Amino acid sequence: MTADRREVLRYLGYGGHAADEAVTVLIAECENELSEAATPRFVSQMLLLRRLMDGSLDCGFFRTDSKKLSKTLSGCGQVLVMAATLGAGVDRLLARYGRLSLTKAVVMQATAAALMEAYCNELCTGWREEYERKGLYLRPRFSPGYGDFPLSCQEGLLNGLQAGKRIGITLTEGSLMMPSKSVTAVIGISENKEFCTVTGCEICEKTDCAYRR
Amino acid sequence: MNVLELMKIRRIFFDGGTGSLLQEKGLKPGEFPETWNLLYPHIIEDLHRAYLDAGADVITTNTFGLNRFKFKPDGEWTVRELAKAAVGNARRAVEACGHGYVALDLGPTGRLLAPYGDLAFEDACSVYREVVGAGAAAGADLIIIETMGDSYELKAAVLAAKECSHLPVFATVTLDEKGKMLTGGDVESVTALLEGLGVDVIGLNCGLGPIQLLPFLKKMVSVASVPVLVNPNAGLPRSDNGHTVYDIDSNAFAAAMKKLAEAGAFILGGCCGTTPDHIQKTRAWCSDIPLPVLEDKGRTVVSSYSHAVTFGGRPVLVGERINPTGKPRFKQALREHDISYILNIGAAQQESRADVLDVNVGLPGIDEAAMMETVVTELQSVLDLPLQIDTSDVKAMERAMRIYNGKPLINSVNGKKEVMEQIFPLVKHYGGVVVALCLDEDGIPETADGRIAVAKKIYKTAESYGIAKKDILIDALCMAVSSDKNGALVTLETVRRVRDELGGQTVLGVSNVSFGLPMREHINAAFFLMALQNGLSAGIINPNLEAMMAVYDSFLVLTAKDENCAGYVGRYASREAEKKTRQEKKETALPNGSEKAARLDTGQVSGLKKSILRGMIQTAGEASREALRQSDALTIINEEMIPALDEVGKGFEAGTVFLPQLLMSAEAARAAFAVLKESMAAGGGAQKKRSKVILATVKGDIHDIGKNIVKVLLENYSFDVIDLGRDVAPETVVERTVTEHAPLVGLSALMTTTVVSMEETIRRLRDRAPWARIMVGGAVLTREYADSIGADMYCKDAMASVKFALSCEEALGVKEIPM
Repeated sequence: MTADRREVLRYLGYGGHAADEAVTVLIAECENELSEAATPRFVSQMLLLRRLMDGSLDCGFFRTDSKKLSKTLSGCGQVLVMAATLGAGVDRLLARYGRLSLTKAVVMQATAAALMEAYCNELCTGWREEYERKGLYLRPRFSPGYGDFPLSCQEGLLNGLQAGKRIGITLTEGSLMMPSKSVTAVIGISENKEFCTVTGCEICEKTDCAYRR
Repeated sequence: MNVLELMKIRRIFFDGGTGSLLQEKGLKPGEFPETWNLLYPHIIEDLHRAYLDAGADVITTNTFGLNRFKFKPDGEWTVRELAKAAVGNARRAVEACGHGYVALDLGPTGRLLAPYGDLAFEDACSVYREVVGAGAAAGADLIIIETMGDSYELKAAVLAAKECSHLPVFATVTLDEKGKMLTGGDVESVTALLEGLGVDVIGLNCGLGPIQLLPFLKKMVSVASVPVLVNPNAGLPRSDNGHTVYDIDSNAFAAAMKKLAEAGAFILGGCCGTTPDHIQKTRAWCSDIPLPVLEDKGRTVVSSYSHAVTFGGRPVLVGERINPTGKPRFKQALREHDISYILNIGAAQQESRADVLDVNVGLPGIDEAAMMETVVTELQSVLDLPLQIDTSDVKAMERAMRIYNGKPLINSVNGKKEVMEQIFPLVKHYGGVVVALCLDEDGIPETADGRIAVAKKIYKTAESYGIAKKDILIDALCMAVSSDKNGALVTLETVRRVRDELGGQTVLGVSNVSFGLPMREHINAAFFLMALQNGLSAGIINPNLEAMMAVYDSFLVLTAKDENCAGYVGRYASREAEKKTRQEKKETALPNGSEKAARLDTGQVSGLKKSILRGMIQTAGEASREALRQSDALTIINEEMIPALDEVGKGFEAGTVFLPQLLMSAEAARAAFAVLKESMAAGGGAQKKRSKVILATVKGDIHDIGKNIVKVLLENYSFDVIDLGRDVAPETVVERTVTEHAPLVGLSALMTTTVVSMEETIRRLRDRAPWARIMVGGAVLTREYADSIGADMYCKDAMASVKFALSCEEALGVKEIPM
């Protein structure tokens, strides 16, 4: 699992520009320290998806009337629910440099975010292959906080997966996940291949975003 | 007979899993099992009875996730009634079966403790106290704290259990396949923590199966002086069509449990996936294996959240630099609440290989207890070294010991009755290894005999509090040889005799010995070596001094403590090469060329402006010292630094300089400022500060990196920044704005969910501080969004906030602050 350098630079606001040597060295340093500190873990579970009369979705762990999620999951009778984290060690590193070197803290944040993304991609690729062998196709992962899929679904999702006990993801009062480099997502399981290709950044409709790929 | 007595007579067994059995009975995904204590009490009672019938001696109440976060005080069920019902169900099962003990089960709260999460340590204690109070009143026989992945939360739970009941406390933690807890602790560190807190039985549960737990169980047995309990899962989990199943059956489980028993586990049981069948078979396989012999391992050990440091092997280095004595800059940092300065001193000592950091923040005029709490909290969140809490203020001592995430070193107690009466109860309650000074009411004995007598008295008194000799480090005390020629000799004799005659561990503050002499390093290094040779267990030293570390490294080599001299060679081989190159250079240097001139020629020293433009943090300080030879500080700031910062800022706006470069320049400028400030302070002058700016990340949001960037940039432009931190309540922002009469407030929010509190903060500011202008920033904000919540300015990045702050000041006519 390695962070995509272009992603790191994109998070740092470089757009398509190249980094100078000092920053390149710094990113490499951050990558090394992060791979030492990270303890990537995940939990996942397949659930039946029910569409209720009022148009809302119920997968057992949470109910939501998110239109965007409903669209992403159209035609899916099952979903794969996941939670993944880089672990508490990464937050310690971020805190450490947040106090000792702001530059490094910022580069560390960007690198850790890219690393988390890489970890999720790695997991999803594995699942995609596994399900394709059974003749099933996975939709792109969709997380609470995307579009109108509310963060409040996070709690039910994490409780259902026992993510606190099993991989140490907790929520703050304001529904933020801790460790900070954690992701939850719902992935539609479909019998046909359409709608299964768009992933990541491009799934978002905010096309004027400064950080868009 | 209580459970502690029974477990010493015969092997006792815990019950197994609850969750999967309740699912079989119809517990739905996402439903809280604790509610079944009231909804279906007979099902819970039957479950307990099944375990008791299978041979379990201890059953755990169905209260794993019971806390006020899941069950709000105004909700359908309260924590109190569920706890009472849960214990009642278990008690009825025990009565029906005619045997067994009821263990009140405490699991993780599901929230992460501050500073990483938002649950304050004392709040965590209070969450657990609520369950303990109700469960103990309802008739639990013991408390089992289990499945803990965070040592800090574990400590909160243990304190609650001990402070709110007199029941025996058992505590087990969960490890991953590498033997680490979720927040990084290992077997040794958690053993130190739990034994320090006086937990009766410690152990491992969940996470892994009995086969994977074997090496970690062996490790725990080898370091623990209390009985060890192990409750594994029924093997490793895998997903089978969406259901979790475990990879070994009850026979294989029991066989693996037998190995754990043979390896020294005292008490056996099960966790996830285990059933009465697992427990019955485990009991059948293991009840004939004789109980292990319990022995005190006699280990002197302190710990941080992540690891333990033991005394008695390689001598321990305690870094002494976090201490204001004789350090004006440190005192200034304490007065200005400049915690980063202190953290940097800690980080530097860790880099210099300190094993433990001494923390002394006593200064007349500051609230030492509050400062100690802040510094210990910050240090333990940033560094992973165990800390030595160094204070004579008992309140500060207790505060620090309570919130410390591990088993601390405590500095200090002595032979005075009054001091022992204050310190020993704290050591007993919170755990710790305590430094004991060889002095008492009669002062410092002049002879080694006298000091040994005091040491004996301290050991004896400690014992009466239940504190073992292993938890005491005798400080033989070291007087300045300039005032007492025999001072060092008496100290060395005492160190040797504590080891040889008392079998104890020792510590010394090494630097005192040279007081009053020139080139103190020479004396300190020689004395340190002599003390090591006389058996010193730990030296309180300055690890940044090469002479001390050279002596230490050489000592390890010469006393066969550095296998194959690998440590020494690793550290010094490259230095040898450097030395050669330097010598060659010297020999080939021009006769009248000074070393400084040669360095200038090679271009290694660059101008201040260049340092800032290129973001060279290391050279910036030196460059400003160089610049001060030509010019005064104010001129340097105005003619070199500000233009450099402006240039970088413009580049950032134009998209030719990027965020990391902007920050490197800002940090270089900050390093330069530090030097210039010192020079101005020495000259009696001070730089004129611009107006005050209050900065805060709003309530509910704990992302503060953006705010910190803004802070550094504003400070470089001489603004007087008052940083309120993160997760700041609206009323706090308002109060400070009013009391400081600040003309400008900057608020940051990262999440859509926390923009609500930003809006609330702005509303209250308009009401009570109508003069203040408000700038906002953060990932989710846009100009429109900022307008809609009533901010004066949306700043898309840190430079934009500097520009806005400058423009505000201009509009105000610099110093006029409307009231």
